[in-house]
Amino acid sequence: MSSAVSVLKEGITGKISHFTSDEVAGKLLTMGVLPGSRVQIVRIAPFKGGYYLKIDGINLAVRQQEASSIVLEIA
Amino acid sequence: MKTIALAGNPNSGKSSVFNQLTGLRQKVANFPGVTVEKKTGVCRLGEQEVLLVDLPGAYSLYPNSSDEQVVLNILANPGDENYPDALVYIADQTHLEKHFLLLTQILDLGIPCVLGLNMADMAEKQGLRVDTAGLSRLLKIPVVNFSARLGTNLDSLKTEMASLLASPPPARQEAFHNSSEAEARIISRIQQDLGVENPYRALLLAHHADKYPFLSQEDKQHLARICQEEKFQRTRQQIAETLKRYERFTPLLRQCLVESQERVTFTDRVDSVLTHRLWAPVIFFTLMFLVFQAVFAWAEAPMNWIEQSFGSLGSYVKETLPDGWLAQLLADGIIAGLGGIVVFVPQIGILFLIITILEEIGYMSRAAFISDRLMQQFGMNGRSVIALVSGGACAIPAIMSTRTIGNWKERLTTILVTPFISCSARIPVYAVLIGFVVPPTQVGIFNLQGLAFMGLYLLGIVAALGSAWAFKKILRSEDPSWLMLELPPYRWPVWRNVWLTVYEKVSSFVLEAGKVILLISIILWALASFGPGEGMTRASEEAALQARQNNLEVAQAADLEAALRMEASYAGHLGKVMEPFIEPLGFDWKIGIALLTSFAAREVFVGTMATLYSIGSTDEEATIKEQMAQAVHPETGLKVYTPAASLSLLIFYVFALQCMSTLAVVKRETGSWKWPLLQFFFMGTLAYLGSLAAYQLLS
Repeated sequence: MSSAVSVLKEGITGKISHFTSDEVAGKLLTMGVLPGSRVQIVRIAPFKGGYYLKIDGINLAVRQQEASSIVLEIA
Repeated sequence: MKTIALAGNPNSGKSSVFNQLTGLRQKVANFPGVTVEKKTGVCRLGEQEVLLVDLPGAYSLYPNSSDEQVVLNILANPGDENYPDALVYIADQTHLEKHFLLLTQILDLGIPCVLGLNMADMAEKQGLRVDTAGLSRLLKIPVVNFSARLGTNLDSLKTEMASLLASPPPARQEAFHNSSEAEARIISRIQQDLGVENPYRALLLAHHADKYPFLSQEDKQHLARICQEEKFQRTRQQIAETLKRYERFTPLLRQCLVESQERVTFTDRVDSVLTHRLWAPVIFFTLMFLVFQAVFAWAEAPMNWIEQSFGSLGSYVKETLPDGWLAQLLADGIIAGLGGIVVFVPQIGILFLIITILEEIGYMSRAAFISDRLMQQFGMNGRSVIALVSGGACAIPAIMSTRTIGNWKERLTTILVTPFISCSARIPVYAVLIGFVVPPTQVGIFNLQGLAFMGLYLLGIVAALGSAWAFKKILRSEDPSWLMLELPPYRWPVWRNVWLTVYEKVSSFVLEAGKVILLISIILWALASFGPGEGMTRASEEAALQARQNNLEVAQAADLEAALRMEASYAGHLGKVMEPFIEPLGFDWKIGIALLTSFAAREVFVGTMATLYSIGSTDEEATIKEQMAQAVHPETGLKVYTPAASLSLLIFYVFALQCMSTLAVVKRETGSWKWPLLQFFFMGTLAYLGSLAAYQLLS
């Protein structure tokens, strides 16, 4: 099953299958976030705030709108 | 002297390495044309000395911020004055994979490199081991494993740097990135047409032509034409290139890395509290409150001490030197001006001490994460919070700290509203005037004056957020806005870095803002000491006459003379010109002068008031308060400083941008006079209207 990070709940883990926005992909790639990277949703700030993601051991904060372009493959 | 650049991702511990290699032999300036901090320092490598340039942290040569743009501009342009002879690439070996993108890009540019694997101590703790010899063989560059935090094995790094300069490696035959067909076509056209030798440099030209400041208009147009003819898709190509790089170096790294099992780390445990949906804001605000308390409480003693020292130095000069304009210039112009600069050192020092510690620990990026949503409501970015908090000490470093905000509109908004946050220079003004309006009564555990202080700060915050909201509606932006912020693992601060940062911030304040303050202080002294025509002489005669008639004592006579001379001086005339404009706010010409002089720096207000009420070298707030309390309007005979007028003046100081240094910094950050002027006028208008309303309603 695959779905965008922005619709998932805290604590869920998965692998990035693809990005739905080239713009966001370009930026995330430079930070070491790739298709195949293992993602854990560590925390979601209240009121649709930021997403605290653990991606291959790196902690990264992104906004909801960026989170919506990251698609996870969930086992 | 040869130049060696220090490059790496943010959070690679690059500045620790820089500090270890250069110590106090470093200089901070700006890269030309932008306000990105440029740190250079001299480093001793055996017999020779080299110039070390600390490039800003960057993730890749595809810039997302002005920091990254600077790195690109330098490394992609061999004609740049900072183009290095060799480069030390610092990588965090506990997250080696993501540090390799920029490294392989730099290697493809043909710059001789040493790879420094930092954080050996952390790796050891995590049970991680890197095969440095193997990595060196695969990458064909020297690799050194060290820890900048502990200072271990830095000598090997220096040895490698020296040998890289002594015998530069031959140009690499094989690039790390194998160009695709589309890339190869455009590369060869650019190589031919623009005479660029390095293929990757040619490719970067295709990607960034419109952003390079060093290209001529002609070249830019030519490149645009080539890209169009070849139907070059920038973002697509960038993604493809990045992915190909990862595909290539990830297996290489796997061979050289003995990884440990992932586990719940210390950082995860701390973050489960510090980014908790309930605890995070509570902790954040408590922390900010404590920061403020610390800045006020700890700075008080040294500030008093500095004020007293400069005060007695001034009196000493006046007593020892023969009376005349030279002694006065020294005592009232220069020494008083210097005192006005140095007195802010404790506050700025303490604020930056705490902010740097929080930054070093890794808390600041969490603060940005938790406040991002709120800041977005006001058209800003989570990172804006750092600027707004720093604005509580001084808007100048705060505005400088906005350069990590990638989105121009969010950055501009932050720059424009930061001066609304009450800075430390407003404190003396608040202190004097609150002492006037508000009685020092205790209400429960609170002191009424303390509450008034807090009210003024809140007023500033409301004004900042309110105008940010307005800018959000007005300003247009094409740039997409994003956060994408790395949250580094929590670490114990490296004290060496902390001290160096504090030292640097304080000295840049003293040297940069101090120059302006001192200059204005001297100008002010001149304006107050000289007057047009015979006015000044007549004022002295008039004073002598009145003194004789009223049998005044020597000290009183001197006071009277000074006051009359002030009225006859250039400053007095300026104040009187202003009077009709500021009368509706409840201000007289003396306040008018103080408003003018405050423009140099708000804290000058207190000093100006001291001069105007001719209380000589006593800069003490209590004395000034007494004098102001007695001040009456010459025609109406009513008191000048009624509660209404004082409140009006307070509101004026909360809102108005009376700071030349801030305007200068905004001009530098935004690149034009348009924004500082706009900022000056809208803040001024708000101040005028606010004061007008307060005075008219209350009087």
